[in-house]
Amino acid sequence: MMETKQKKYTSLGQVMIRECKRLVSRPLYLFCMVIAPMFCYIFFTTLMGSGLPTDLPIGAVDLDNSSTSRSILRNLDAFEQTNIVARYESFDDARIAMQRGDIYGFFFIPEDLASKAISGRQPRISFYTNNSYLIAGSLLFKDMKMMSELAGGALSRATLYAKGATEEQAIAILQPIVIDTHPLNNPWLNYSVYLCNTLVPGILMILIFMTTVYSIGVEIKDRTAREWLRLGNNSIYISLAGKLIPQTIVFFVMSIFYNTYLYGYLHFPCNSGILPMIFASLLLVLASQACGVVMIGTFPTLRLGLSFASLWGVISFSISGFSFPVMAMHPVLQGLSNLFPLRHYFLIYVDQALNGYSMVYSWTNYMALLLFIILPFAVMQRLKRALIYYKYMP
Amino acid sequence: MKEATFKDKISEGIHDLFYIWKREFQTTFRDQGVLIFFILVPLMYPLIYGFIYTNEVVREVPVIVVDDTHSSLSREFIRKVDATADVEIKTYCSNMEEAKQLMKERKAYGLIYVPSNFSKDIALGRQTKVSIYCDMSGLLYYKGILLSATAVSLDMNKNIKISRAGNTTNRQDEITAHPIEYDNVALFNPQNGFAAFLIPAVLILLIQQTLLLGIGLSAGTAREHNRFKDLVPINRHYNGTLRIVMGKGLSYFMVYSIISVYVLCVVPRIFSLNQIGHPDALILFMLPYLAACIFFAMTASIAIRNRETCMLIFVFTSVPLLFISGISWPRAAIPPFWKYVSYIFPSTFGINGFVRINNMGASLNEISTEYKALWIQAGVYFLTTCWVYRWQILRSRKHVLDRYREMKAKQQLSSREITD
Repeated sequence: MMETKQKKYTSLGQVMIRECKRLVSRPLYLFCMVIAPMFCYIFFTTLMGSGLPTDLPIGAVDLDNSSTSRSILRNLDAFEQTNIVARYESFDDARIAMQRGDIYGFFFIPEDLASKAISGRQPRISFYTNNSYLIAGSLLFKDMKMMSELAGGALSRATLYAKGATEEQAIAILQPIVIDTHPLNNPWLNYSVYLCNTLVPGILMILIFMTTVYSIGVEIKDRTAREWLRLGNNSIYISLAGKLIPQTIVFFVMSIFYNTYLYGYLHFPCNSGILPMIFASLLLVLASQACGVVMIGTFPTLRLGLSFASLWGVISFSISGFSFPVMAMHPVLQGLSNLFPLRHYFLIYVDQALNGYSMVYSWTNYMALLLFIILPFAVMQRLKRALIYYKYMP
Repeated sequence: MKEATFKDKISEGIHDLFYIWKREFQTTFRDQGVLIFFILVPLMYPLIYGFIYTNEVVREVPVIVVDDTHSSLSREFIRKVDATADVEIKTYCSNMEEAKQLMKERKAYGLIYVPSNFSKDIALGRQTKVSIYCDMSGLLYYKGILLSATAVSLDMNKNIKISRAGNTTNRQDEITAHPIEYDNVALFNPQNGFAAFLIPAVLILLIQQTLLLGIGLSAGTAREHNRFKDLVPINRHYNGTLRIVMGKGLSYFMVYSIISVYVLCVVPRIFSLNQIGHPDALILFMLPYLAACIFFAMTASIAIRNRETCMLIFVFTSVPLLFISGISWPRAAIPPFWKYVSYIFPSTFGINGFVRINNMGASLNEISTEYKALWIQAGVYFLTTCWVYRWQILRSRKHVLDRYREMKAKQQLSSREITD
């Protein structure tokens, strides 16, 4: 009894040593496990380093050229997110500049703005945003709408002052109700916080999918699967554990690295403390590896297994709902989204790091990730058969 | 032996070019793996993406209300917010703690708080505040709640202003409300939709990525089948660089001209996305884009040693490439270093050019920068492809020669042994 147990441990150790040798023997593994994730961590955080885009280029068409119109444009230019880079003679010129990609929007002031406004003939200004670039368009929309409101307000205020109103009275008449906005836990509207917290683990997840599928599938392809099984005491569990544990360690280290990088170095909001996030990352790593095993277990052809991994991995980014909310998707997709580990990780992140809620509130998502981890047991025997009998076909 | 004339060489070259073209075509359609990338993925992925984003916008974001006033004015405010398309009032809570609890349970993504002095302030002619609190897990929730609340507040402000002004005519009321009127026009994506903004970029990127994968896969296969793990087979037709590169390129180009029609014309139609581009501008634009992508992929395929490794290397790059193109994260905010990096990839110019032609109705005139850049890329990558293939031809010749010498030495050795 003792002996068989001992034998199991030694064979587990031998498979692990064999796997470590395999991992260092090919630069491909180094690339997928270390270089590619590291590159993406740095890429996404530096790409969106500014957090919220500022000084987005817009144009102005000022057909009035009065002191009123100039002051409107000057004020608009002073907004943090807008930067008037050019003035155009006509609407068409501005439109063409937009099609050329020089500007993301423009502000149009018609002739006789000042004279019409003073004489109470209600002039009409307009602004155009290019919403083919949704983020830029939305940000500019906010500023230009505000400016348009203020333009009318400035005129009324002048009238009110003339009638003898104090500043406080004037403001109360012009804007009786104001909206006081509180974007919870991301008051800077930082896009890097909003996106990187899911993009970065997502990239790691897709690479775990790929590496797991590849490292198992390539044994079938190179006809080393039997040797691998034999070393693992002919037990699929020992062989698989021996293969995956070294990878788990590397990926877990990579996930600790991004956690410390995001929350420790870049100081992204982490209201739960870093430990729950590291725990969630560990679950994500294990769940992704389990998914990888299921993928190659269901499609023991390397090519199909990897195609499955690519499909699941790439779709994860859209369906996890961190950019386009799941609640706005088709009900079928809302159900399907539960089959993606990244979706659960995202919800855990929102509850823990972003909002600082207790872990109890996201227990369903922790459970879901745990369920992913036991999923491979369903395909174990199929995988073992594939390892023994399957022949690689290109 | 007679020197082959220049004319003979040309005709032989063209002959070989079409031979290689035919061969590549055959391998493409016989290889299941390549077919997955060249046919199945371009066919299926756009449909999946279109399906995910087809609702375009977020409607009826669930919101909780804490109303400490309970006046007719506060009820009017809440009713109007509820009536907007973006927000749905899920429930009323009596205090903030209760509301917070509901937000923790993911019952709502926002909270509107009307303070107790709301109506009193308005009645006394003082400014008053309505607070909104938004869950920042999705910026679209924030945007929906903020826009709805702002729209309602502006509308109510207008009425309050009018009632205070003591005007006598309707026209005076109008002028009091808006001394200067304004319009806003969301150009090129009037409904502010997510699909209309993201899908065109995904479609263009898909063409580049599937080419990278497909060509990488077939390069890997060629190496695995080759005796010396070389890319170029030993065959009298595979003699010149130009004919190999052109022959292969032509066959990929033909497959992808059909795929492009489906991806760029049929798919947007299925999901009724913007399609206001001129067909001739689009065709002229796709020419250098496909060429640049094909030669880029052929150059990159040199790094692929095995059949399946291309997937490990290329698949994850789709996400960074989408971001670096400047479609979701504005180009103006991309740091210069990454901007220069983005010039390496045809997708950067492809996405920007296509979005402008297709969504914004630009002509080639407006996108001349992207158009020229793509031709330059096509040229540069054509040269690099020729260069790497030349290198590969020389290598495979060398391998054959080495092998031949080895054999000959062995033969000599054995024949000597016999004579001895």
